[in-house]
Amino acid sequence: MSVSSRHEILEDSPGKRACLLGNLAIARGALEAGVQFFSCYPGTPSSEIGDAFARVAKEAGILFEYSVNEKIAVEIAFAASLAGARVMCGMKHLGLNYACDPFSTMPYVGVGGGMVIVSAGDPSAITSPNEQDQRHFTRFLYCPIFDPATPQDALTMTRYAFEFSEATRLPVIVRPTTRVCHSSGMVKFGPMPRDTNEIRLRKDPSRHVPIPANARRMRRELTERYRRAEELLQTSEFFPRTGRGPYGIIASGVAYAHAAQAVADLGVEPEVTLQQIGAYPIPEKILTEFLEAVDSVLVVEELTPFVEDWVTTVAFRRQRHIPVYGKHSGHFPVEFEYSPDLVENVLREYLHLEQQEKTSVQVPELPGRPPVLCPGCPHRTTFYYARKVFGDKTVYCNDIGCYTLGYGEPLHSCDMVLCMGSSITQASGIARVTGARTVAYIGDSTFFHSGLPALANAVQAKDNITVVILDNYITAMTGFQPSLTTDGWGSGDGAQAAIKAPMGPGVHFSIEKSVRGLGVNDVYSVDPFDEEAILSALKAAKGGSGVNVVICHSPCVVYQRRLDKGKRRPPVRIDPDKCDSCSLCVRTLGCPAILVTDGEYTIDQVLCDGCGLCARLCRHGAVQEILPGRI
Amino acid sequence: MASRGRQGGKSGWRVLIVGTGGQGVLTAARLLCDLFVDRGHDVVSGQLHGMAQRGGSVQSSVLIDCGSSPMIAKGRADVVLGFEPVETARALPFMSSRTVVYMNTNPVIPYTVGQQWVLSKGKAEYPCVDELRETIEAVTPHLYSFDVTGLAEESGSSTTLNMIMLGCLLGSGSFPYAPGDFCSALSGRLPPASADANRKAFSKGVELGKTFQRSECYS
Repeated sequence: MSVSSRHEILEDSPGKRACLLGNLAIARGALEAGVQFFSCYPGTPSSEIGDAFARVAKEAGILFEYSVNEKIAVEIAFAASLAGARVMCGMKHLGLNYACDPFSTMPYVGVGGGMVIVSAGDPSAITSPNEQDQRHFTRFLYCPIFDPATPQDALTMTRYAFEFSEATRLPVIVRPTTRVCHSSGMVKFGPMPRDTNEIRLRKDPSRHVPIPANARRMRRELTERYRRAEELLQTSEFFPRTGRGPYGIIASGVAYAHAAQAVADLGVEPEVTLQQIGAYPIPEKILTEFLEAVDSVLVVEELTPFVEDWVTTVAFRRQRHIPVYGKHSGHFPVEFEYSPDLVENVLREYLHLEQQEKTSVQVPELPGRPPVLCPGCPHRTTFYYARKVFGDKTVYCNDIGCYTLGYGEPLHSCDMVLCMGSSITQASGIARVTGARTVAYIGDSTFFHSGLPALANAVQAKDNITVVILDNYITAMTGFQPSLTTDGWGSGDGAQAAIKAPMGPGVHFSIEKSVRGLGVNDVYSVDPFDEEAILSALKAAKGGSGVNVVICHSPCVVYQRRLDKGKRRPPVRIDPDKCDSCSLCVRTLGCPAILVTDGEYTIDQVLCDGCGLCARLCRHGAVQEILPGRI
Repeated sequence: MASRGRQGGKSGWRVLIVGTGGQGVLTAARLLCDLFVDRGHDVVSGQLHGMAQRGGSVQSSVLIDCGSSPMIAKGRADVVLGFEPVETARALPFMSSRTVVYMNTNPVIPYTVGQQWVLSKGKAEYPCVDELRETIEAVTPHLYSFDVTGLAEESGSSTTLNMIMLGCLLGSGSFPYAPGDFCSALSGRLPPASADANRKAFSKGVELGKTFQRSECYS
């Protein structure tokens, strides 16, 4: 590591001020702590952490992997920690649910080298199927959690989390939310480490094997270690208190940033005592002192009334009978993220300030720009042909990936979704009770993430399902992380350039062999743009019995364009003399490159990828493929 | 307790940059951040790019010397840099009578406009840009609009739209720096292949910004 690294987060320039994305601040914090091993599965809003490590791992000498799923990521990292390494895992909130089985026993066994799991939360479910409050993990599993409000917090907390984890032998969660992950803010760099932990595994089954006899001993130790965590936090820098006013405000996460902003903007510093909660367990002494110093408390936190209940319990136990306002009192909603306006308005109410005049800005009705499959996306082609063969009545169970955009008009290819890998299991459930052949759509990365056991289960039950695997050779939705079918991982530019193909260029996992290995006999491999091949495969699958699999191989158009340095197929054009505005293309495909203006159909020549699906669909031959020589 | 707040705690600048995916909103925000960090300012910037993709709505806030929150409160934007008319109108809740708005008048028509009509018999129409302008002017008199896409295409590349908009902001006298200061700092941050075109676009934007009346709220 040198001062002159081309990667800013590797610079050894202590004291440097920089404006860093929250996710990069987390990566920087881990690098300053001497992290030696990093594993992750991408998921918004956490993905940039892994992508940052993908770029710098080689130069920084860090072992790195995009794991096949989050459970695997934490298990591998935990073992590396037992051997002494400082390890970190990155994932979104739902990823930690998936990894919760191994994770739940890790506090018992205890870590060797410091272990930090970043589990990024998503209040308001901006890019997730739910919003959940991971802070409950602290009481649920006796795991300390850091709750950053700003990128600087994210850096400082992550850096400290490693030594804290080693001191308590507890795995530690850093829980940023979308507004912290995806905001940039000022951070101050600390020094880069001069040395790292020694790697040495001392065999000790009595400590590493939680058989019941050992687990009960570990349980007692865990209580002690969790108490030690509270003691260490009590003297840490993560509970700053400002002001000495009678109005207590206690806040956590990005809501603390909004609250501090509102206190400053309203100029009420003399009236207020503002307490940040930066970690859990909240040291009881800190809360007790705070409660003694104020006449009332307003708790400002997103999601569940977690801190609020904690404060109320401590107030009761300490017989400090002052009002505690927050979600239970109706000051704040329990759902969704907070805006700075909301926080300021509640503060005004709490401090008996005049409410701001309601602004009467009326936003006129504006056309939306909903997310849609890209022009030329192979998933659209697959959905189109599958509906042609399987019809409207078939149930289409979809999964997590870009292909969830098969939802709604006009593709109607997503009747249900639950979580990663659920397409196959949901199809099994539907097929078993209705007796009707059911279709599951799942992408390559998601298939290996959690589709494999689901498929094995369907095979053993002989479920009447057709699994359509949408293999686009990349984890597209989260920003083009490699999947197991990516040819020679990292052959392209961008985030993955540092990652070399684990199996060498030209070699990648074979979905066909995996599927056949699980006992599926009817396996069809097709290019979805080969009309004859895909139609005959889908027809055979529809007429088959038991589990069959259709694998549609075609690269993500956006990623392919990157690999080809912007080169694309020539766009198609609509001949206005032949088009009779029948709207079939729009009613069937939902391609954003097809524009309709006053009943006139045209193709956006910049957006169109020239996949030619609309040309094949058009009954009037009005869509013409432009030959390369003609543009 | 009587109201005695500073009404927005005006101390720094709150800039909201809006447009559609592919117009370079995030790049413009990043450059603006870097330019002010270089000059010793504290910058916090928030972005909304969850499902953002080519053609989707993009909003990015840049708060210079304002405090800790990464989000701009309703009615508190000092400047809105609108790369697209409908997206500028979507930012109306963040505007007040003090907000200065620089708007590109050239629309990016959402595909839903025609398709929605075919699919759901909805009435999604692209509004008339003059009406959008009137709606914004009903909130703030400081609206400056121009066909910036046209200007970008004139200079040979529509991808320099964001540089013209940025030049326009920095050339308008909104900040206590001469636009020339930024020009040299920009050069080092642009990919060499497109640096020349982007520098020219930035200068064009600066000239455009100078023609817009200097806003009172910064004096």
